[in-house]
Amino acid sequence: MMSENAKIVIVDDEIHIRSLLEQTLEDLEGEPKILTAANGVEGLALIEREHPRLVFLDVMMPLMNGYEVCAAVRKNPALADITIVMLTAKGQESDRVKGLQEGAHRFITKPFDPDEILNLAREMLGHS
Amino acid sequence: MIKAEHYLKSAWVRRQFELMLPLLSSGISAALQLGGKRLVEFNEAGHDLSEGAPGVRAFPLTLEGEQVGTLLLRLPAQNETAQVEAWGNLLAHSLQGMLEAEHGRRSVARETLESYREMALLQRAVTDLNHSLKPAAVVAALLKEFDGRNNTADYGAVFMRAADNDDCDLAVSFGENAGKDFARLKDSRLFADISVRETGDIVNDLSSSPLWAGDVANFQALLWLPLVADGERLGLLVLASRHIEGFSAADLKRAQTLSSVAATALRNAQLYAAEQKMFQSFVRVIATAIDAKSPYTAGHCRRVPEITLMIAEAAHQANSGPFVDFTLDEDERNAMEIAAMLHDCGKVVTPEWVVDKATKLDCIANRIHLVALRFEVLRRDALIARYRALAEGEKPESAETVYQERLRQLDDDFSFLEKCNTGTEFISSEHLARIESIAQQRWNDTRGENHPLLTENEVYNLAIQRGTLNPEERIIIEYHAVHTINMLSQIAFPRSLRNVTEYAAGHHERMDGKGYPRGLKGDQLSIPARMVAIADIFEALTAPDRPYRKPGKLSWAIDIMHRMKLDNHIDGDLFDLFLSEKVYLAYASKHLAANQIDEVDASRYLAGRGS
Repeated sequence: MMSENAKIVIVDDEIHIRSLLEQTLEDLEGEPKILTAANGVEGLALIEREHPRLVFLDVMMPLMNGYEVCAAVRKNPALADITIVMLTAKGQESDRVKGLQEGAHRFITKPFDPDEILNLAREMLGHS
Repeated sequence: MIKAEHYLKSAWVRRQFELMLPLLSSGISAALQLGGKRLVEFNEAGHDLSEGAPGVRAFPLTLEGEQVGTLLLRLPAQNETAQVEAWGNLLAHSLQGMLEAEHGRRSVARETLESYREMALLQRAVTDLNHSLKPAAVVAALLKEFDGRNNTADYGAVFMRAADNDDCDLAVSFGENAGKDFARLKDSRLFADISVRETGDIVNDLSSSPLWAGDVANFQALLWLPLVADGERLGLLVLASRHIEGFSAADLKRAQTLSSVAATALRNAQLYAAEQKMFQSFVRVIATAIDAKSPYTAGHCRRVPEITLMIAEAAHQANSGPFVDFTLDEDERNAMEIAAMLHDCGKVVTPEWVVDKATKLDCIANRIHLVALRFEVLRRDALIARYRALAEGEKPESAETVYQERLRQLDDDFSFLEKCNTGTEFISSEHLARIESIAQQRWNDTRGENHPLLTENEVYNLAIQRGTLNPEERIIIEYHAVHTINMLSQIAFPRSLRNVTEYAAGHHERMDGKGYPRGLKGDQLSIPARMVAIADIFEALTAPDRPYRKPGKLSWAIDIMHRMKLDNHIDGDLFDLFLSEKVYLAYASKHLAANQIDEVDASRYLAGRGS
C-alpha cells in the first residue's frame, strides 16, 4: 500500500487524453492525487510546485514540448526522484531514444493500453 | 461501481460555494458529501454539519436512481427554512446537473478506454500468439493471458481435439492442482456437453446446472470457448472460478478476442507441423530405400544421423575449446538430422553390383567360381596326362609324381587367387607378377578353343591394390556423392533447412582437400558437414556387416580414425571432441555388440592436444 497519497501529474494539451488518463489512474490503490496541466509551461510549473512521484508527459505540446519539460526537470537536482513517462502518438524509435536521452524512464505510445498504464504506475509507485 | 467522489473537483465546488453562499446570508455553513467523502466544507463557525444535526438541511444527489452524495446547508438563523429550501434546491440542482454530465462523459470515456484496452490486447495477442509455429507454444501463450494479475480466473486450461476423432485432451493448465481438477472436469457430463458446442458461454453458478454433479469441488463458475478456425473446432479454452458469479460478459468478450487470434495461430501451427511431419516421412522413405538397397548398409542412414547429433550435442555443450561458439537450436538440429539421413541418397542410383562388390571378381555373380571351374578342367587335364603317360609306357611312380606336383601347383595357385580376390590383402608387384603368370596357363573349352586361364578383365580386377573396387568402379561409387548433391539441390528446402545439401554432400570431402566429389578443404566445409563425415566413417567402421570384413572392434575403429586425423583426412578438433566427450562410447553401448566394445585408451590419442 502507498504510504500517503502520492501525486501524479499529467501534462498533455489534448483534453481527452488528460481525461482518459485521469480516469484510468483513479483505479489505482491508495487514492493518489492526480493533477493535470494543458501545456509544457504550466506542466513544468505544476511539477516544480507539487513535486509528484510520477509524471505522464506528452511529447508534442505548444509553448514547451515534452522533451524540454523533461530536460528542465532533470536539470533540477531537487526533482531527481521523479519518474517521467513520456507519451507519444508517433511510434518512431528515434523519439524513444531522444526521450530516454532526456531522462524519461519509459515511453508509451498513444492510444495507450489502460492496463499497461496501471501496471506501470503501480510499478513506479512501488506497489507490488 | 460509481465513484462519485471523483466526479466533481473540489476546487470547482469551492468556487461554486464562494459565489453562491453570500447570496443566501452571511454566516451560512455548507458542505458537499460525495461517495462517502467530505469533498468541500464551508464552516467558519465550526458547527456540526453532519446529516440530521440541528438546523442542518440535507439535499440528496443521485445518479441512476441511487444516492451518491449530499449537499448540507446550515443557516445561522433558524427561521428562514423556506429560503434555505429554495436556495438549497437550486444549488443541489446545479451540482446534480454537473454530476450527470460527468457521469455521461465518464461512460463514454470508459467505452473509449475499453476499446483502447481491446486494441492493445489484440495487438499483443497477434504478436504473442503468432510468435511460435508450435501448437503447444500457441496454446501456452493463450492460457498465459488468463493467468495471474488483472484476471478473474482461478483456473484455466486448453483442451486439444484429436486429429481423427472428437476426443479432447488436456494440453495445458494453470491453477492449484489444475491438472487433477481438469481431468475430473473432463469426465463430467457438463464437459461432454460443452465440448461439442459451437459457441462459448459462461455458467456463473455451476450448482444450478442440471449437468453438474459437483464434479470438481473447487469450481463454482465456468467460462468456456471453442477454438475454431476454418470452421473446424481445434480445441477448447476453459476458465474456472472458485466463486459464484466469477465471470462477466467482459471476461467472455476478452476471451473471444484472444481465442479468435489463437485459433488462427493454432491452425497455422498445426498445418506447419503436418507439413514438417510429411517432409520428415519423405526423408525417412528415402533413407529406408537407400538402406534397403544393400543388405550390407542396412541401418547406416538411420545410425549416421544419431552419431552426427551426438557429436553436435557435445560441441553445443562445450564450454571451452574450439567449439565454444558452436550452438545448436532446434532448426539446426533438424537440418543436421535430415542432412545426415540423406547423405547417401545418391546411392539410390549407384548400381548394386558396385555398392555390394564383396570381392574383386564379383560381377553380379562372383566370378571366382568360373575360375575354379577352369582349374578343375586343368586338374582333369593333369589326370588325363597321367593316364596317357601310363598308357604310353611311363613308369607309374614317375607319372604319379608329375601328377601330384601339378595338382599341388594348381591348388596353390588357386588358393593364392582366392586370397587376392577378397580385397583384404595388399597387392604388391610380386603378387601381380604371379597373377599374370598364373593367367598365362591355358585351357580348352567345350568347342576345343584354347584360352588363357584368367581373362584380361579378371586379371585387371584381381590386380586391384586395395579393396575390391577397380578405378572405374571407384568413380561410379564416388559418383554417389555427386548424385546426392544433384538430388538434394532439387529439393526446395525452407529457410531453416537451407544448409542441408552442404551438410550432406561434404561427407566424403577431406580436410586436406583430397576428398570427393569437390575436393573441398577443411575451411571450405561447414562444421556440421565435418560432423557428418566423422559419423559416416565411424558408422562404417563399426557396422555389424560390411561386404569386405567382419564387424570392427571399437579400439580398431578409433585407431583408424586417429590415423585419419594425423593424415588430415578428418577434422582433428572434432575427433578430439569425439574422444574426450566419449561420444564413441555412448554410441557403442547403445548400438554395438558386446564383443565389439573393447578398451579404448583415449588419453593416448588426446596427448599433445593443442600443440
